Amino acid sequence: MTSIIDDIRKTARQLLTEEKVDVVIGYEKGSLPLKATPCFVRSPQDVDKLIWDETCENNLAAFVVKTPGKKAIIAKGCDSRALMVLIQENQIVRDDLYIIGVSCQGVIDQRKIEAETGEIIGATITDGKISVQGIECDKVFNFTEVKDITCQTCRYPNPVLEDVHIGGSIEVLQQATLFADVMVMENKSDSERKAYFKEQMGKCIRCYACRNVCPMCYCQECFVDCNSPKWLTGGVDSAENLLFQTGRALHLAGRCVECGACSRACPQGVDIRALSRKVNKDVKEMYNHESGLTEEVKPALNVYSADDPEAFLVKE
Amino acid sequence: MSMGECLVNTETKAFQPKIVAFLCNWCSYAGADLAGVGRFQYPATIRTIRVPCSGRINPLYILKAMANGADGVLISGCHPGDCHYMSGNYVARRKFALIDSLLKHVGLEEGRVSFSWVSAAEGVRFAEVVKGVTERVTALGPNKGVFKVEDGGGTND
Amino acid sequence: MKISKEKFGQSFDALAAEYQVIAPVRDAGGVSYKAVKKFSEVKQDYLNSKLPPKSFFFPQHEKLLSYKKEGKDVTVKNELNVEKTILFGIRPCDAKGFLLLDKVFKNDQYRDPYYFERRDNTIVIGVACHKIAPTCFCSSLGLSPASSAGSDIFLIDLGDSYQIEAISDNGKFLMAGLEGLEELSTEEQTLVDTIKSAETTSKVDVSTITTKLDKMFDNPYWDTLHEKCLSCNACSFSCPTCHCFDISEEVLKNEGSRVRTWDGCMAPLFTLHGSGHNPRDQKKSRWRQRMLHKFNYFVHNNGDIACVGCGRCIKNCPVNLDIRQTIDGVNKAELVVD
Repeated sequence: MTSIIDDIRKTARQLLTEEKVDVVIGYEKGSLPLKATPCFVRSPQDVDKLIWDETCENNLAAFVVKTPGKKAIIAKGCDSRALMVLIQENQIVRDDLYIIGVSCQGVIDQRKIEAETGEIIGATITDGKISVQGIECDKVFNFTEVKDITCQTCRYPNPVLEDVHIGGSIEVLQQATLFADVMVMENKSDSERKAYFKEQMGKCIRCYACRNVCPMCYCQECFVDCNSPKWLTGGVDSAENLLFQTGRALHLAGRCVECGACSRACPQGVDIRALSRKVNKDVKEMYNHESGLTEEVKPALNVYSADDPEAFLVKE
Repeated sequence: MSMGECLVNTETKAFQPKIVAFLCNWCSYAGADLAGVGRFQYPATIRTIRVPCSGRINPLYILKAMANGADGVLISGCHPGDCHYMSGNYVARRKFALIDSLLKHVGLEEGRVSFSWVSAAEGVRFAEVVKGVTERVTALGPNKGVFKVEDGGGTND
Repeated sequence: MKISKEKFGQSFDALAAEYQVIAPVRDAGGVSYKAVKKFSEVKQDYLNSKLPPKSFFFPQHEKLLSYKKEGKDVTVKNELNVEKTILFGIRPCDAKGFLLLDKVFKNDQYRDPYYFERRDNTIVIGVACHKIAPTCFCSSLGLSPASSAGSDIFLIDLGDSYQIEAISDNGKFLMAGLEGLEELSTEEQTLVDTIKSAETTSKVDVSTITTKLDKMFDNPYWDTLHEKCLSCNACSFSCPTCHCFDISEEVLKNEGSRVRTWDGCMAPLFTLHGSGHNPRDQKKSRWRQRMLHKFNYFVHNNGDIACVGCGRCIKNCPVNLDIRQTIDGVNKAELVVD
């Protein structure tokens, strides 16, 4: 990984020195172990703070729309897919954007580690092994054990849109069945699913971290903030929260790039992905669409076909 | 009587559901009108909301109707190919399929939310659709579903 | 004094019949405060709850009143229902948080009945921290993992027993009913002293922050601080001292209720005026507000810093915007001379 970060820094330094961009959006070391934090590098002297490892979990595309000027961005597979959708939706000017593509091994799910070690006091990552000093115990994990659930089923670890590629590319994991996790859920009974979502939504505190961390959630006024009509009341309970999360999942239909940032951002550990994964599966099955792969293929809900499935209609 | 309460027929004590029907202006609304003019009987369970096109229906309309206590929701537009705006119902059809699937996934009972195409000439069929939807919603009973918000004040617990 | 956990547990179970007892329990996402009936349900070994216990006095959403119109009759119902409650296992940071919230909900002109009905009917039993998380920094804010401020009764876990101390009159009243109180042995006293002298490993310097912030409203420090902030309310909602709220009318046809909900200054909606104007429409001004409110305005208005060093905002921030670094940044910022 050392050479990757050297190349990232070199590229960033060059872009800033040659004034091709005003800012490089990347990651720096966070204040907590195993935590990277987004950073905005504006001067060539600062590029050495950039890092690249399995802790770079945020989707930086979320910052692109609101950062003024010409910018370079370090993009993983999912970040680049998000950028692609943003370009399709005319949210960013391609010429103002320089994409430094890096293939991604996946990111760490800290919750999996903390479930065993308790609060993480210190950690080091070497050659796919993560040695963790926890408040309860110390433990060494294989990266694959603690890989985020989204990354476990990732089919696009390599950027789909980039101006320069750094490092090698990553072989895509072959999966016997796509969306196996959604199928497990679908095979449960109605009441089990209902109970599951009720429990999950009961945890939501509506801090809107999921919405704000999402690169696709850029509405000027989100429906939850709208007070005329007032879609959501002041109450925070599982019914209201489900309305919020379902409304959001439907708004992301055919747009969600499956970066999993929403679930990782949730301070309450709500399984937000469960909703968007289901919608993504339906979009793939019904319309054979995956978002943000090429600029030519329009988002699934922007187009139609005369023979789209309509099994959902009433039988009368 | 607010949306939250369910109607009970005083003579039979039978539950009579409240169903919000979003009907497209050009076809289904006219179909409903024709059913009325033609005096084709159907249950007085629907509350019609006329929308310019089925493509105008926001998924939140359905969710909010369920949240505020509607026992059922019926959505109806022009048949594919007949859209007054050429493609409104085609675009809507994709959206509806996803909504239908997701709502069932999160535990909303099958039959609470129904979708159909009814043209301006299909007065009889409109009555049939409403009959069918009403039967299914009646069988399900009052809305106590996953989206039903008790009184807007949260549960206070 | 000390009391064996066995004896304490018996009294606890007996009290649970008379009071609503809220205590830390293990759940899917970590530890949270929930109603319990038995001492055996209580999670003993925990760092702190995921969300602060402020919600027991100041719920995330509460119906203040409800109303209904029938014909010409309007009925209004007060929705305040309060039970006598014991909050068990509150950590020193959160107990101090209650003292700070008290100052918000009471001043010389107004005393919030919803907050104080609950507050006055609650006995807080604090428990000293044994383990200290890397995000804890209460020692920098005049507290320690064993400070009893804000608790009515304060416990220090000694293994099989608790060192027990009544802090307030309410605490004395409750403690008078306890059976099996014993004197501490010399060894136990030494253990208590060790726990009492513990400090958090993480520290910040807030000694001059208030006066420095007096001069920092226009400082360029705010220009970049906020950049990675997402404007969510994960920090505010997990803060034991954040207390901003919104009041809305939830009306459906001829009935409705007036609801108070948590609100937070990090979201642009918080300050959006009816006219469409938003005085704090930039993240920069919102972050400045957060820092100034906690470390400056609150000190001027109430004589204390509105941060207790619980570290929840650090843990919960999706982009790791660490308040300790922000405090350091303020300390290091160069003042701009006019």
